[in-house]
Amino acid sequence: MAQTPPLTSGKRGKLLSRFAESLLAVAVGLVGGAILMLLYGYDVVTAYRALFLGAFGDLSGFLETLAFATPLIMTGLTFGVALRSGLFNVGSEGQMYLGAIGAVIVGGRLSLPPILHVVLATIFAMVLGAIWSLPVAFLKISRGVHEVVSTIMLNWVAFWLVTYLITYQLADPARAERAVPAQETARYLVIGSSLTTIFPVVIAVALVIYFILWRTTLGYELRIVGHNQDAARYAGISIHRSFIISFIIGGLMAGLAGASQVLGRPPHWTVFATMGNLINLGFEGIGVSLIGRNHPVGIIFASIFYGGLLHGGRFMEFEAGVASELVRAINGIIIIALAVPGALEILGRILRRRRMKHV
Amino acid sequence: MDVKGLTRTETILAVLFVVALIAAGVGWTQTGQRVTETVTTTVGGAGQTVTVTQPVTTTQVLTSTVTVERLIAPGTVKIAVVSDIGGRGDLSFNDMAFKGGDEAERDFGVEMVELISKTEADYVPNLETAARDPSVRLIVGVGFLLSEALLEVAQKYPDKNFAGIDTFTQFLAVQQLGKPLPNMIDIVYEEHKGSAAVGALGCLVAAYYNEGGGNYPYIGGVFGIEIPVLWKFEIGYKWGCDWGLKWYEQRFGKRAPIIGEDGRYGSGADWRDGLYCPAGGQCWYKGRVLWTYTGTFSDITKGYAAAKPMFEQGAIAVYNIAGPLGLGINQAVQEIATERRLENGPPFWIGVDANQDWINPGFIIASMMKRVDRGVYYATLLTVIGKFRDVAAESNGVLTLGIGTRVGRLSMEGISVSTLADLDEFIQMGIDAEKMTGKKVLPMPPEQIREKVTEMRDRLPTWVWDALTELESKIRSGQVEVPMVLTKDEVDRWRELLG
Repeated sequence: MAQTPPLTSGKRGKLLSRFAESLLAVAVGLVGGAILMLLYGYDVVTAYRALFLGAFGDLSGFLETLAFATPLIMTGLTFGVALRSGLFNVGSEGQMYLGAIGAVIVGGRLSLPPILHVVLATIFAMVLGAIWSLPVAFLKISRGVHEVVSTIMLNWVAFWLVTYLITYQLADPARAERAVPAQETARYLVIGSSLTTIFPVVIAVALVIYFILWRTTLGYELRIVGHNQDAARYAGISIHRSFIISFIIGGLMAGLAGASQVLGRPPHWTVFATMGNLINLGFEGIGVSLIGRNHPVGIIFASIFYGGLLHGGRFMEFEAGVASELVRAINGIIIIALAVPGALEILGRILRRRRMKHV
Repeated sequence: MDVKGLTRTETILAVLFVVALIAAGVGWTQTGQRVTETVTTTVGGAGQTVTVTQPVTTTQVLTSTVTVERLIAPGTVKIAVVSDIGGRGDLSFNDMAFKGGDEAERDFGVEMVELISKTEADYVPNLETAARDPSVRLIVGVGFLLSEALLEVAQKYPDKNFAGIDTFTQFLAVQQLGKPLPNMIDIVYEEHKGSAAVGALGCLVAAYYNEGGGNYPYIGGVFGIEIPVLWKFEIGYKWGCDWGLKWYEQRFGKRAPIIGEDGRYGSGADWRDGLYCPAGGQCWYKGRVLWTYTGTFSDITKGYAAAKPMFEQGAIAVYNIAGPLGLGINQAVQEIATERRLENGPPFWIGVDANQDWINPGFIIASMMKRVDRGVYYATLLTVIGKFRDVAAESNGVLTLGIGTRVGRLSMEGISVSTLADLDEFIQMGIDAEKMTGKKVLPMPPEQIREKVTEMRDRLPTWVWDALTELESKIRSGQVEVPMVLTKDEVDRWRELLG
């Protein structure tokens, strides 16, 4: 663990310890949630049974879980990819809003032939997401503005910009509370429950990211930059280029997350002026990425787990009568517990880097 | 490119880990059977089921007591209420829906389960979760945002009853499927009638205070986003003011002071003594209502900004038709009250949807109540007596609750002007919200609220309330018809007449 480039050494031990950590985290999270429920006098076994069976116990529940997981896979990747290249990109929230509005513009406002429409709407959404990440990249490179600051500020700019667009430019004329819905031709096909064919698209994209990161020179460079900038510079890798690419990939992913809520989520197929169906999907991606250890495949499964909590929570409410606010608190405890190992790892890395710099 | 085996192992392990995690979660909890599957229902009129005859007494608004034979064993039937975003504690739609469910529990022995929607993405899964429970007979979605979700889920579960408050699911069904769904009822309200009642109240209150030397030439209305639904409120309100002033004329044989006679409202060929009399038609009290569409249902400051100038121009009461913007109107009223050291109005404001009279006792003349709770209650009643599908079929799936609505022998009222009698129910709602959120909701102790509201109402002469009763009974009997405006042409025509 201590060596800096130990990509090939001690891998088994490392994996085992990670596995043990995660199991411990699950246990801690479940026990924490159970304590909370006991404090309020709820039946813990009934509640957890309802949670897990509701989310994973049958096909339609599982499909719903996947529907909730879909955007999180993408926003998780935004954060994960950035972290792999040494960036702390918390801008997926705003980039995701832009993606959603891009999907509304092409999907709702334009009339195009069936397959072309959905493809173009998706691509436009992703591009808008990527464009929204560029100022961050340029500020970082040219002025050294830390990306946490610029992304958080841009998230708010995106929020108000998109609110404005939905309210005044893209409002559904018959329904002032929302933007124009995506036309039939721009919608992904429904598989079952609220899950559409955008899910396989998202999975494919996640696997492409995995391939890029671990099977291409580009990905290798990104990861080296993330690991040790000095070494990367020494090896002749352009750090600026890596940053830009990392931000663009992140923006594309976040844009797709936004598109998934418009083009791939029945029954509304649009964004509400309150943006209630988008808000927090970007920030939740951070937790997802930490749980999935910033690895594309890990993020997929972490998203499904997270989606399971989001969907299964309602069964705790319905079958065990757990108050809806408490359901959120329980889910929060589980997620925090699961994210702690990943967060500690990052913290350790940052501290190590600091110490090395100060020596 | 130098990394090989590691990633694959890592991937496989990650997969195994998550699978194990899920399996552990499920396996650990699989100690018993799933709760919902063990419940057997004994519903149906086939004859072999347990038949419990029990009188069901419907309370409050029902004018006659109806005894029905219930074919359902008590305790086995559940109804589910799926809230809009906000859930319990909103003191409005959601709280009222749950209140209706509570009353249904009490009166019909059903069990209510609640599902709170956190985002718009929760609508469908929440409705579906409820629909899949075999003992749930009726699922109620609260708020028009659930319309699409109800269409989707109601189609999928044809043996369950669905109801929506303020929804337009059947309109969508006709559009998309060619016919309404047999298991769905949209519950909508005749807001124009209730708005007419508070419009009449407002203008008569102005007349009364002008008699006593006041100078109140207007009433006001603060509206949200200009959507067709709000036209119903707007024209109803203006029409009500006109009705009220004409009633005053008849009753006292003279024009109402200032608001009924003044020449400030317009002049020219079509005007006669402050009345607008277009060629070939009757005369109208035009221009008595100041009105603003704020373009928002959430920005409270805009409620303040719209109401303040209305009060400055001499509006005696301002009607809130923009949900939370009422708090902005209240702020404007409170400012004037503090400035002039008033203990009670005028100026007043008029509440909407729930009984809002307790928010600032003494300054809210009344509220136009849209009884969401009654909607849930009636839907449950129809389900319990087995008439849900019949009513759906007869009405094309749209049940309009208003003043004097009847369904068969049952009276189903859903619109009323707030009274002292229902104030307590809503104070209770505030107390519950305080308990739940831990925040202070009620402005003063319940007894004091009651006292102040009673005082305010007693200060008005009985003829004001007589007029209101007369208007309601005439609406009920069909002697007067409040215009229901839904199109741009219609709204333009009425604005021409009423201002």
